[in-house]
Amino acid sequence: MSEVTNIENTLLSNFNTWLEEHFPQNSGLKKLKLEQSERFVNLGIPARKSEAYKYTNIQRILSKNFDFSVANEAPAWTKAECHGQFYDVDANHLVFINGQFVEDYSKISSSSSELIIRLLDDKTFEEHTEVKDLLGKTRNIDQDAFASLNLSYFNQGLYLNVPKNADSRDVYVYHFVDAEAAQAVIFPLILVQSETGSRLKIYEKTFTKGENNILSINLFEAKVLDNAELRYSKLQNQVNNYYTIDGIYASQHKDSRFYTNTFSFKAGAIRNNIYINIEGQNSEAHMNGLYQIAGTTHVDNNTSVDHLVPNCFSNELYKGIVDENARGVFNGKIYVRPDAQKTNAFQSNNNILLTDTATVNTKPQLEIWADDVKCSHGCTTGQLDEEAIFYLRSRGVGKKEAKAMLLNAFAKEALAELKSDLLKEEIENIILNKLS
Amino acid sequence: MLKINNLQASVEGKEILKGINLEVKAGEVHAIMGPNGSGKSTLASVLAGREEYEVDGGSVEYQGKDLLELAPEERARAGIFLAFQYPVEIPGVSTTNFLKTAVNQVREARGLKALDAVSFLKEMKEKMKLVDIDQSLLSRALNEGFSGGEKKRNEIFQMAMLEPKLSILDETDSGLDIDALKIVADGVNKLKSPETATIVVTHYQRLLDYIVPDFVHVLYKGKIVKSGDKSLALELEEKGYDWIKEEVATA
Repeated sequence: MSEVTNIENTLLSNFNTWLEEHFPQNSGLKKLKLEQSERFVNLGIPARKSEAYKYTNIQRILSKNFDFSVANEAPAWTKAECHGQFYDVDANHLVFINGQFVEDYSKISSSSSELIIRLLDDKTFEEHTEVKDLLGKTRNIDQDAFASLNLSYFNQGLYLNVPKNADSRDVYVYHFVDAEAAQAVIFPLILVQSETGSRLKIYEKTFTKGENNILSINLFEAKVLDNAELRYSKLQNQVNNYYTIDGIYASQHKDSRFYTNTFSFKAGAIRNNIYINIEGQNSEAHMNGLYQIAGTTHVDNNTSVDHLVPNCFSNELYKGIVDENARGVFNGKIYVRPDAQKTNAFQSNNNILLTDTATVNTKPQLEIWADDVKCSHGCTTGQLDEEAIFYLRSRGVGKKEAKAMLLNAFAKEALAELKSDLLKEEIENIILNKLS
Repeated sequence: MLKINNLQASVEGKEILKGINLEVKAGEVHAIMGPNGSGKSTLASVLAGREEYEVDGGSVEYQGKDLLELAPEERARAGIFLAFQYPVEIPGVSTTNFLKTAVNQVREARGLKALDAVSFLKEMKEKMKLVDIDQSLLSRALNEGFSGGEKKRNEIFQMAMLEPKLSILDETDSGLDIDALKIVADGVNKLKSPETATIVVTHYQRLLDYIVPDFVHVLYKGKIVKSGDKSLALELEEKGYDWIKEEVATA
């Protein structure tokens, strides 16, 4: 018997008991969770030979760092500690503690005509048909074992509904994770429905305490309806004992815009699974990412945009700065289905390696069935331009500052779609301070 | 100010400078001339601290200090400026932003207070006039898409901002039409003072019509083979370099 079967069995060994304890007898959510746990078993944790996890040995990462027979301890974050981390800005500040949305710790400033914020529990699931129609239903999500695992185990998720034509105040989601007494394995879930003509920007950030290992199996699932705009940006700058698998799934209706930005700086390992389905004409999808990693941090961006209808645009830009023994992985899939004529789809992944021991694996994957399309992809991997460094130094700029100047210039393009100046400044400081 | 004594240097194992001797005093302008491949640009690069050049022997003393010990940025802060033959294009970094960092790091090393945004801008506007350079050019990415003339004017503008003691102009005339040449030379002349010195590296005499040298040296096969005053430059213009080569061959 392989160790993998062990992980899956161990993970689900107390599942039924847990389900009984948390959900009532005829609960719809309970039914969904049972189905998802079966799906998880069928899909299984991707094996080493799995193409999608070729450079990220997820089985080994999980078995080496986690004991799934250990139950989570009760987290200890106080309200004041959480509030101390809020950005000083008029917005909705939403708190998750060890993967559960805690309304009482959150600060909500939008009225319900601007943004509806709900705990995603059994009641919400029963009372809102759009939640039933969306949760776990996005195209391609049924192929992802970790999405199924999240859907099996999430509890107290967050549901955001941006009403028709509402231009909502921003949402900041803060995850607080406590791994002081024991390891923490968490399953945060955010579900978003952007109604026709609405606009919303979501920013997400994580704080941890404790030396024990943390595993976060995240899921973000969104439906962007006609002419709506949704922007989702995530800062991943944790500690070496933090491991995360982040699923981002979206479906877009006509004339809609969807943006994802992921900024990855530090963790044991980060895997982002981003799947965007363009299902309505004249829509735009943007995926931007920046990873600047050192030590032994491992970042794997696995992205996919699926053009199902004509006249849409997608653009994907990932930039990497890889130092010491870190590894960056990029896999970008673009599907252009037979009906999706007049598609414009662009992708690029550019990397700078700062040492001989840093690694980048990059793979574009374009599958095009339509014949009247414009698609392009490009990957580059290089070093910092020594001549440019000498030029700056010959003007009196120190070596470290010269490098930071060039790296900030390199990274800038990947930050272009980030609309928060606060976060932008924070990221620019991280880039400078990461240089030794 | 600068004393070069028997300087030998190589790049990738190839010997290029084979014993250069040169003394430059404050207030002087020296021209280094010579045929292609004689080592002119190597000399300029070694003085500025370009790392791919290996110094194999000899010494360079600058204001009483061992210049070869210093990192490129330390040389710049001590007052050495190299105007590049091929200024580097740096996407995403504007001249204004980079120069603000550079000027303040140089000022800090010289024991001066950092310039705030307002006084920096004021300083910039003044120096821009010297080389007739436009502010919109300076807020663009450094040298990216600049014409040859714009790049060279930007070099002299940076020189004006950094207020060096010893300026080394490496083939600053290459790729310039006569109008741009005049503007650049005019800028250099305005920056000259009894406390500063200039080394002009050039293949042709024409730049020296505008920046008049006190001394002219001919570099050939890694050595200074002839020195004189500005009339030597005129002689070279008229007769080319062949007679120098012959003189060296028969010597």
